[in-house]
Amino acid sequence: MIWHIFKKDWKLLWLFVTAIASLHWIAAFVAFKLGLFGEDATLEMISFYVPQIAMYGSAFLIAAIVHLEAIPGTRQDWLTRPIPRGSLLLEKFLFVLIMVEGPMFLATLLRGLVDGFSWRLCLLTTTSYILFLVFFLVLPVFAFASVTKNMTEAFIFWCGSTFIVGAFLVLAGSMNGAAHGTLLGATHTGVGWIAEVFRFALVAIAACVVVLLQYFRRKTALARFWLVVFGVLVMLSAFVPWRPVFAIEERLSTKPGAGAGTTLAFDQSRGRFKSPSGLLTSAESDRPRYGRNATDIFLPLQIAGVRNDAILLVDQAEVYLIDQKQRELYHGLGEEFEVAREGPIPSEEPVYQQIAFPMPIYHAAKDQAVGVRVDYSLTLFGLGRSYSIAALEGDERMPGWGWCKTKMDDAGANVELRCMEPGKGPICGTAFLENGSSGARNPSRSFCLSEYRPFQDKPWPDNFAHLRVNLPFRDPSGLAKFPVDGPQLPQSRVVIRVYEPEDHFTRTLVTPQMKLKDWEAQ
Amino acid sequence: MIHVENLWKRFGRFEALRGMSFEVPEGSAFAMIGANGAGKTTTIKVLMNILEPSRGSATLLGVDSRRIAVRELAQIGYVSENQDMPARLTVEEYTAYLRRFYPTWDRELETSIARQLRLPRDRKIGNLSHGMRLKMALLCALPYRPKVLILDEPFSGLDPLVRDEFMEGLLGQAGEMTILISSHELGEIDGVATHIAFVDEGKVLFQESMGDLTRRFREVHVTLDGEASRPSQTPKEWMAMQMTGNVLTFVDTQFDERALGERIRSRMRDVRDIDSQPMALRSIFTTLARAARDGSAQEKAGAQ
Repeated sequence: MIWHIFKKDWKLLWLFVTAIASLHWIAAFVAFKLGLFGEDATLEMISFYVPQIAMYGSAFLIAAIVHLEAIPGTRQDWLTRPIPRGSLLLEKFLFVLIMVEGPMFLATLLRGLVDGFSWRLCLLTTTSYILFLVFFLVLPVFAFASVTKNMTEAFIFWCGSTFIVGAFLVLAGSMNGAAHGTLLGATHTGVGWIAEVFRFALVAIAACVVVLLQYFRRKTALARFWLVVFGVLVMLSAFVPWRPVFAIEERLSTKPGAGAGTTLAFDQSRGRFKSPSGLLTSAESDRPRYGRNATDIFLPLQIAGVRNDAILLVDQAEVYLIDQKQRELYHGLGEEFEVAREGPIPSEEPVYQQIAFPMPIYHAAKDQAVGVRVDYSLTLFGLGRSYSIAALEGDERMPGWGWCKTKMDDAGANVELRCMEPGKGPICGTAFLENGSSGARNPSRSFCLSEYRPFQDKPWPDNFAHLRVNLPFRDPSGLAKFPVDGPQLPQSRVVIRVYEPEDHFTRTLVTPQMKLKDWEAQ
Repeated sequence: MIHVENLWKRFGRFEALRGMSFEVPEGSAFAMIGANGAGKTTTIKVLMNILEPSRGSATLLGVDSRRIAVRELAQIGYVSENQDMPARLTVEEYTAYLRRFYPTWDRELETSIARQLRLPRDRKIGNLSHGMRLKMALLCALPYRPKVLILDEPFSGLDPLVRDEFMEGLLGQAGEMTILISSHELGEIDGVATHIAFVDEGKVLFQESMGDLTRRFREVHVTLDGEASRPSQTPKEWMAMQMTGNVLTFVDTQFDERALGERIRSRMRDVRDIDSQPMALRSIFTTLARAARDGSAQEKAGAQ
C-alpha cells in the first residue's frame, strides 16, 4: 500500500521534485567548478544563493508532499477512503526521505567522490549531514505542514512564526546585551552543540507528538497547541546556561587531566598592556560592546603548565567586578584568547585578559579599590599531526585534514592556502612558511576555533569544511621583513600543524584589590 | 444501519447540530431535507468521522462514528458536492489509485458506470466541470458495491440532463444499498427516497416513510354556505389555515378519510362541501417549514 501511494505522489509531484533536485545538483556542480580558490565571481554568487534557494525549495516540497493528503479540513476525498493512516504516514516520510533528501544525499556524496575523497569518508559525512537535515529541516517542516490545510495557510503561519521568532531573537539579543552577554549562555558558542542536541530531541518529540496526533486522531487544534508549546521550549533553549553545558563538554574530554597542570595568575610585574598599534589609548577605548560604549582594561596574566606543542584556548571568560564590600558591580564576559606553545623553544608572549567594561560602570569604579574574578572555561589542544605542502602550486591530499592547494596571491605578498574536507573538518591548527634547506620559518598563523560539535550543523552551502589562510612573505609597505621571502618560495613549503582538543577544564582567576584605571592600555 | 442519537456539534459559539436524532433503516433510501445551514452536511461529516461530535452519538454499520476506520470506509460510498479530489490526476489515474484500497472493487462495474455517466477518463479531474466532478465522485463510490451510500447535496448546481444521468447511474446500481441523501431540493429526491427527515436548525423536525407521509398529508378545501371564518377551536394537526370567500383551506397532517367529515362538521356549521387533495412533497415541506418557523417564533415570543 505504501508503494501504491508513493507512485501516486510521484505522479503528482515529479516536476517539483525534479526542479528541487536540479537545484541541489546545480549547487553541487557549481561548488565543484569553483574548486578550492573560487575565483569566478559569477559562480561564487551562484554558489551563495542556489543552495539557500534549494533548501527553501526543499521545505516547500516537504509541505507539498504532506498537503497532498492534508489533515485539517473536511473536504478532502481521502478522508472518506479506506486508506490506512499508518501506511499513509510512513509513505509520506519515505517519500520525503527519498525524494527530498535523496537528491541532496546524491549531490553531496558525488561531489565528495568527484573531489577525490574516499568512499568511506564521503558516505560517513554525507549520512551525518542528511541525518542533521532530518532534524533541522524534515521533522519541523513535516510537523508544521501536517497542521496546515494548504500552502497558503502554511505560508501565512510560517510568516507569523518567523515574525515571532524574529521578535524573540531581537528581545533575547537586547536582554543579552543588558546582561553583558551572559544571558544566552551556551548559544552560539563552541559547546552550543549540546544545547542543539537538546533542541533536536525537542524537535523529534514535537514532530512525533504532532504528527501522530494528526495522522491517527486528526486533532488539529491540540496538535497546533503542542507545536506552539514545543516551539516556545525550543526558543527558551537559547537560554541554556553555560556552566552545565561546559560541564558536559568536560566529561567528553578525550584526555581528561591533560590540562591539570595549567595555571593562570594575575601578574602585575608584566606591567600595563601596550597597544601594538602604537595609537593613543583613547582610540582603544570607547568602542561599542553590546550596543553600549565600553572601555577596555587589560589584566596581565601568568599562564603556566601549557606544554610545548600545545595550545590553550579560552572558550569563555566570565568576569565579575567586586567592590570592597563584596558587592558585585559587574558581571559580563571577557575577551577570549589563545596561548600557543609551538616548536621546541616556544616564545612566551605576554598575555593579557582584555575586559570591556561598560562606560558607566567603568567611570563609577575606576578610582575605587575593586577585585576582579574571572571564571575561565578552557580547552587544551595537543599537536595531532603535521603536514607540508609546496608553497607554490601545491596540491596535496592529507588524510584527516583534507584536500589543499597553494598559490601566490595576485599582489605577490601572500601564499594562499585553501583546503577542504567533507564533514565538519578540523577545528584547530597553525600554518607557516618554512624553507626546508635553510630551516628559516615565518611566524605561524593560527586558526583555532572554540567549536566542539561532533557533527556538521550548517544546512548550507554544503557539507564541506573550508579553510582559507593567507601566509604573508612580503610586506608591500616594506616595513616588515620575513625570514622566508619571495625568492625562497620555490624551495619552501607550507607546514600545517593540526591540534586536537584533549581536555576541557575550568580555572578561576582572582586579582587582589586594585584600581581599574591602572590597567588601561598604555 | 445508521443511527443518530441526540447529536450536537458546536463550532465555537455556533451550534450546528442541536440534538439531531434519526434512524435509517437498512435498505432504505433516506432523504434528509432542510434549508441551507440546517445541519445536514455537518451530520454527514460526523457520520463519516470527518468531524467529531460535541455530544451524542452516531453509529454507522453498527460502529460508533468516532471509530469509523478502514474496514468500515471500505463499505461506505460517499459523494459530496464539495469533495476535493487530486486535481492533477486524470479520471482513469484516480480510479486506478482507489481500486487497490477496496477489496470488492469491480472493474467491469467501474467501466460500465463510467460509460453510463459518459465520463472522459483521460481528462484531469481539475479540468472537469462541476457536474462531471459529481459524476466522477459517483464513479469512485459505486464500483465496490458499498453497503451504505451517502450523498451530500449531490444534485446541487446540476443541470437537468446531468442530474438525470447521475440518477440513472445511481439507481442502476442501488440494489440492496442503504442510501442517505441530503438535499435542500425536494424535487431532487422525489421518486428516489423511501424515507424522509425534515431538518431545521440542527435537529430533525420529524422523520417518516414517504408512503406514510404522502398518505397522511392532505390539502382540505371546505366550502361553506356563508362567509368562511376561522373555527374557534382547531386541532393542532390542521395547519396553514386560509379563508377565501366561503372557502376554508387547510392542511390536514393526520388525514383520515372516514373521520375528516365528522371532525370538520363538529367545528363548523353550514358545511356545503369537503374536498381533500393529495399534496406534493414540496407543499408538505413548505407547510412544515413554515409551521416550524412560526412555532419557533412563537416560542421566542413566549420566552420574552
